[in-house]
Amino acid sequence: MEDMFPQINTFLQATIRMSIPLILTGIGTLYTERCGIINIGVEGNMLIGAFAGVAGAMVTGNIYIAVLCAIITGGLLSLIFAFLTVSRRADQMVAGFGVNLLATGITITLMPYLNANRTRAVLFPVVDTGFLKDIPILGPLLFDQSIAIWLAIILTLISTWILYKTSWGLSLRAVGENSKAVATAGLSVIKLRYAGILLGGIFGGLGGAALSLNNLGFFVQNMTQSRGFIVLAALVVGKWNPVYFAVVCLFFGAADALQLRAQAFGSVLPYQLYLMLPYLLTIVALAGLVGKTKAPKEYAKPYDPEQA
Amino acid sequence: MKREQDATMFGVNSQGLIDFLLAGSRPVASVMLAFLVSGVIILLQGVNPLEAYLAVLRGAFGDKVAFGNTCVRTTPLLIGGLGMTLGIRGGLFNVGAEGQLYLGAAAATAVGLLPLAVPSWLHILLSLSAGILGGSLWAFLPAYLRAFRGISEIVVTIMLNFVGIYFVSYLVHEPRLLAQEGVSYAQSRTILESAFLPILVKGTSMHLGIIIAVLLGFILYFVLKYTSFGFRTRMVGANPDAASYAAVNVKSSLFVTLLIVGGFSGLVGAVEMLGFKHSLYDAFSGGMGYETITVALLGGVNPLGVIVSSFFFGGLKAGGNLMQQTVGVSTSMVQVIQALAVLFLVGIGFMKPKLKTPKTTPPH
Amino acid sequence: MNEPALLLQMKGITKKYPGVIANDRISFDVRSGEIHALLGENGAGKSTLMKVLYGLHHPDEGEIYLMGERIHISSPKVAVDAGIGMVHQHFMLVENMTALDNVMLGLHQAKPPRLDVKGTREKFIQLVEKYGLVVDPDMPVWQLSVGQQQWLEILKLLFRDVKLLILDEPTAVLTPAETHQLFKTLRFLIGEGRSIIFITHKLEEVQEVADRITVLRDGKLVGTVDKEGTTLSQLATMMIGRPVSLARKPRPKNDEKKPVLVIDGLCCRNERGLEALKSINLTMYSGEILGVAGVDGNGQRELAECITGLRRPTHGQIKIKGKSITEVVDDPSLLGYIPEDRQKTGLVLDFTVTENLFLRTYNDAPFDRWGIVQWDIAQTKAEELVKTYDVRTPNVMVPMNTLSGGNQQKVVVARETNAQPPVIIGSQPTRGLDLGAMDSLHELFLKERNRGAAVMFISTELSEVMALGDRIIVVFNGEIMGELDGDSASVLQVGEMMMGHRLQPSTSNERGKK
Repeated sequence: MEDMFPQINTFLQATIRMSIPLILTGIGTLYTERCGIINIGVEGNMLIGAFAGVAGAMVTGNIYIAVLCAIITGGLLSLIFAFLTVSRRADQMVAGFGVNLLATGITITLMPYLNANRTRAVLFPVVDTGFLKDIPILGPLLFDQSIAIWLAIILTLISTWILYKTSWGLSLRAVGENSKAVATAGLSVIKLRYAGILLGGIFGGLGGAALSLNNLGFFVQNMTQSRGFIVLAALVVGKWNPVYFAVVCLFFGAADALQLRAQAFGSVLPYQLYLMLPYLLTIVALAGLVGKTKAPKEYAKPYDPEQA
Repeated sequence: MKREQDATMFGVNSQGLIDFLLAGSRPVASVMLAFLVSGVIILLQGVNPLEAYLAVLRGAFGDKVAFGNTCVRTTPLLIGGLGMTLGIRGGLFNVGAEGQLYLGAAAATAVGLLPLAVPSWLHILLSLSAGILGGSLWAFLPAYLRAFRGISEIVVTIMLNFVGIYFVSYLVHEPRLLAQEGVSYAQSRTILESAFLPILVKGTSMHLGIIIAVLLGFILYFVLKYTSFGFRTRMVGANPDAASYAAVNVKSSLFVTLLIVGGFSGLVGAVEMLGFKHSLYDAFSGGMGYETITVALLGGVNPLGVIVSSFFFGGLKAGGNLMQQTVGVSTSMVQVIQALAVLFLVGIGFMKPKLKTPKTTPPH
Repeated sequence: MNEPALLLQMKGITKKYPGVIANDRISFDVRSGEIHALLGENGAGKSTLMKVLYGLHHPDEGEIYLMGERIHISSPKVAVDAGIGMVHQHFMLVENMTALDNVMLGLHQAKPPRLDVKGTREKFIQLVEKYGLVVDPDMPVWQLSVGQQQWLEILKLLFRDVKLLILDEPTAVLTPAETHQLFKTLRFLIGEGRSIIFITHKLEEVQEVADRITVLRDGKLVGTVDKEGTTLSQLATMMIGRPVSLARKPRPKNDEKKPVLVIDGLCCRNERGLEALKSINLTMYSGEILGVAGVDGNGQRELAECITGLRRPTHGQIKIKGKSITEVVDDPSLLGYIPEDRQKTGLVLDFTVTENLFLRTYNDAPFDRWGIVQWDIAQTKAEELVKTYDVRTPNVMVPMNTLSGGNQQKVVVARETNAQPPVIIGSQPTRGLDLGAMDSLHELFLKERNRGAAVMFISTELSEVMALGDRIIVVFNGEIMGELDGDSASVLQVGEMMMGHRLQPSTSNERGKK
């Protein structure tokens, strides 16, 4: 029984570590969805952020610049999506799909350059919290992590405050419910939507960086493994509320972490079953919530100013 | 907003031809633009884009072997693209082709391994049917959730893709199931020769699949345009409210359509197994399921257009290998070209399939 | 006596859309402290003009002056900053948010970026007390009554201290009691020196509340008059352009009327679960147009939906020729339906004209043989229909969305009436059409009536119903207020019923009082 303890510790640690990219990405994607846009290109944002983060880390050796690279590339990719869906009023699904494809293609194309570079990528710094990490259970969970966990917690709190306590947050939420009302109040629906989408891209990039630079330090083809879609599903399950969403992400992170430890547990079940777990969970979550979720009213409807 | 169109050319009512050409102009333009931008990226890698593109052309159509390769690559794209087209026209966006084709491949392999004492054509037929059923089965859950519970099929099918891929992975690792013993890379036992699709041209890899695929293309065109089933399906995709009023059972139409689309994807996997790979292994597809989406969109969501676009992309892929060998440009550039083509298509303002994406709950 | 100060002047405003001139060199002005009514029929251009004023549309020509100064209103923001506020016909409220949230939307906050919830709430309550517009700030908007939602819209404007309020058809969704309350509030606002532009097509209201009235017709200005000294019929004439003894369509007399559709005790609910129809009894006869009048939202839509099988009643029976409606609902040869939202329910815009014409009959012979649609036969038939019903289209193979609204509607009518069904239901069939298209459609309906069909013509446009109906009934709050003979009914009688007053048997011989 004693050696279960360290196992559980590492499991909990891994849970947090695997949830963080989801949470970080979701902070931004929440804004996108709240203003009525479905951006499935969030997958591409994460992927390209993961890549750019590693690239930046290898080239500069400076974690802050690396994260900046990730954020900028994620943002640029989402700008393409924003232009297509808001200014050109294209179908959001197709545009998002195209963006994902682009991210995949570009990262694979540029990978050889990454691999050619032999320097080690600098990682998210681990925070030394002294005695705190020796607290049973909570210690390793919260205090033996890199700076990423604090980023996630602080940013979630800030974003919740912005969404619910500021004028801008109110306007953004209103756009997702009734964009005409916002327009007649004298605000710019287009600017608000661009902002929502860009935030999604920026945080997607950040989430991607958290994936590749938090404990790992390298980039693998298709690294995100559809985590972007899990974020979208988690938003639905979490009813587009930042705190519930974070909790849901923890569950997905746990499933992810479990899969890594399956063989260590000497499990009889085939390892593929554990790999499937996060995805099965998503389906169950979606299927189980019919009739209970309330999407923002203008979900996936392009805004036509002439129809005011 | 009236558009006066002169529908006669040389005294013949060529409205259809004009529409087809007009419809094709924008995908063509998008592809051109995609080549342009990709050319710049290739240039940045220090390679002459024209050389690269020429290599692609040679690799795709240079000789009968090359054309055979093209046909082999085209077949899965075409069958899958046709399925996707049916889906979109019927109001569905199936992103689950990848998982469905894995299941189809597994089912076809399983039947292909059975030592049935039947003539070859029957063995092939049975294996293909198993593949279709496998794909349909994998589409059952998303079809039910979408048709009867209003849950978007997009996220569900993507999740199922992964489940499907891992499930098949399990199958080929497990000797009691499909796995072949004593190999370094997990794969299934090779299917029996009686289940192999015949090669059409000796010395190439061009197999019967391409004929099946092209035939399917014409059949789908006919069904959509000339049958009442096709009419109903199109109605549901274009305007479910009007379809409802016209006494079409919208829910059952959505359900059946997605099942059929799943069957198409299953057939993709089956044909790949019986015609080309002959044995199932981990990650054999490499994203073909997602490529069928591009092919359908760039084909203007029209079966005839899809025949053209799938040959185009099949050729790109076949030629991409030669491009990598001769000028060293990675085959992933093909994906970049695909992506850019889709983005330009959407940006030019052509692609408005008006997919009725449901919220994850029916509105109250 | 000084001239009252001019708050607003609109000069020569012109706004064109492809194929139609919505506003044709319109000029009018509004004085400080007056209620100025903008009167006209549907499609006259009133809403467009006000949207120009509010910055939602840009005029092609013309100038706007506010307090004597030229102003260029390029967006609602400019209008709001200039002290202009608008309450739209369809409320611009976020239903899932509270009243307070809605007020705060776009409102300049004391300490940006924070939302000043406390300060706003205080001011909210102050305004509620001052103006008597009782709304709970913390209640979500979807729980507010329609009248309260309108008060909220007005509160929004008062928060921004608007000088000029524009109200677009404000009484369309109010009960008579709420309407009176609204008028009281408006008078109060005037007393404070504000001005109000009141868009309406209802003559009676204008008499009650306006100081001056500007009448528009077909996009043009007819004139501006003072309320004092102008009679209702003068206004009506200005509005409609013909003497208000409305041009009744000539028709042969029909003596052989047989009951075709019988409705017995029909009750049903609307989307919100509220009772939409309360025990309706109704009979439709062959060879007759039954005009159904009433303010939008009183159950007419639900009535049409119940008859056509799109909505399940909670009680009651509907029978066509003795057979219950549930048995016949899919049969296009028994019932034709021309819905109010043709683009949503009636047509598939991406399909061709031919495909739309056979949306319901593709399955029947001779168009269907073993599951294969015989498009060539269908096309020939389509060409015939297009000629018979005078649909303007280059050919029958073009997509539906290339046709004008009027021609689209003709296609719907062609499809629904071609099988010569005994019952035809038209629900706001002329909505959004220009007068010429409207007229064509009226002729079509008359043709059907003359061949013996029982036609139900539902419309919120009084003039239409009165021109077409052999009999006229009025629906109010889910009940039928009364029935009048089409030849002898008067505008006032029908208008009274539309406001909720039941028809008194003694008042049914008001001949000639039109």
